[in-house]
Amino acid sequence: MKPLRAIAAIAIFTAGSGAYPADEPVGKPMKMDEPMRGEMKRKTMKKGDVRKAAEKKAREMKPMMDKETARAAKK
Amino acid sequence: MKKRSMATSLADQSPKLVRSIERRLFLRQGLSLGALALLSGCDLTDDEGVQKVLTGISRWNDGVQGWLFSSTKLAPEFPESAITKPFPFNAFYGEDEITLVDGNSYKLEIEGLVREKRPWTLPELYALPQTSQVTRHICVEGWSAIGKWSGVRFSVFLERIGADTTAKYVGFTCADDYYTSVDMATALHPQTLLTFRYADEILPPKYGFPMKLRIPTKLGFKNPKHIVAMFVTNEYPGGYWEDQGYNWFSGS
Repeated sequence: MKPLRAIAAIAIFTAGSGAYPADEPVGKPMKMDEPMRGEMKRKTMKKGDVRKAAEKKAREMKPMMDKETARAAKK
Repeated sequence: MKKRSMATSLADQSPKLVRSIERRLFLRQGLSLGALALLSGCDLTDDEGVQKVLTGISRWNDGVQGWLFSSTKLAPEFPESAITKPFPFNAFYGEDEITLVDGNSYKLEIEGLVREKRPWTLPELYALPQTSQVTRHICVEGWSAIGKWSGVRFSVFLERIGADTTAKYVGFTCADDYYTSVDMATALHPQTLLTFRYADEILPPKYGFPMKLRIPTKLGFKNPKHIVAMFVTNEYPGGYWEDQGYNWFSGS
């Protein structure tokens, strides 16, 4: 994975611009500092925590996957 | 019948049967530990040491579940008359905040241990052989619902991109920031679909436009929506809820 590209794509998509299937309500931007919805969360979790965790995970995975891909290319 | 002690009974059996019984006991104990590990998702404690131990047990439980997983055992399928209407929306955000993806400019990014890393457009994905299923979505929150999804068998897509199917994991990142991953055996399961339609209509945003991975053998949070990138790897990718303590495998 190329995390920067994925993050950039996510940022573009979450901006809410562009086409989508007709007859669907237009989505509001996600309020990142609001508590999460649903029953899986802890009380302290906010919607923005998911993006922070995704960015952290992308940073952690990138070097490992780069090495892995390089090893596979040598074979 | 004359009663005999367990030790005597086992001694009388063939070594193969004894090994089988021992394995069952081992599995039962393992699954009990796994159930304990699931409690970590219930905020049993925030103590770091306890969390580490529970995470370790949960990862071990993943291994047991992976070992028990059958690539040929199918999840139940239902007639269309059994479909739940309306099918519930569920996410960590409200229905008014659903992520909107531009289908015209959309490209699915492919990374990791695959031969062809080129991005895929929606028309290219729609052109792949499609199949449908009516299956039950089971949520870890305690509810379930039956729906009809259509798309390409994920195994077919993995073959098209030249994925290394000996790798351990397939990971997904989504337009709503969510991320998760699945084991390769589940990715190759015949009922695991990369879906583009719900109830014979293009997948609406609330169900994950432009695509949702539908895995009827796993809990709902292992079915990512709004997928924008996927990767094949041997490095454990975890997932958002999984990293909070929910069991990673979460399937049958």
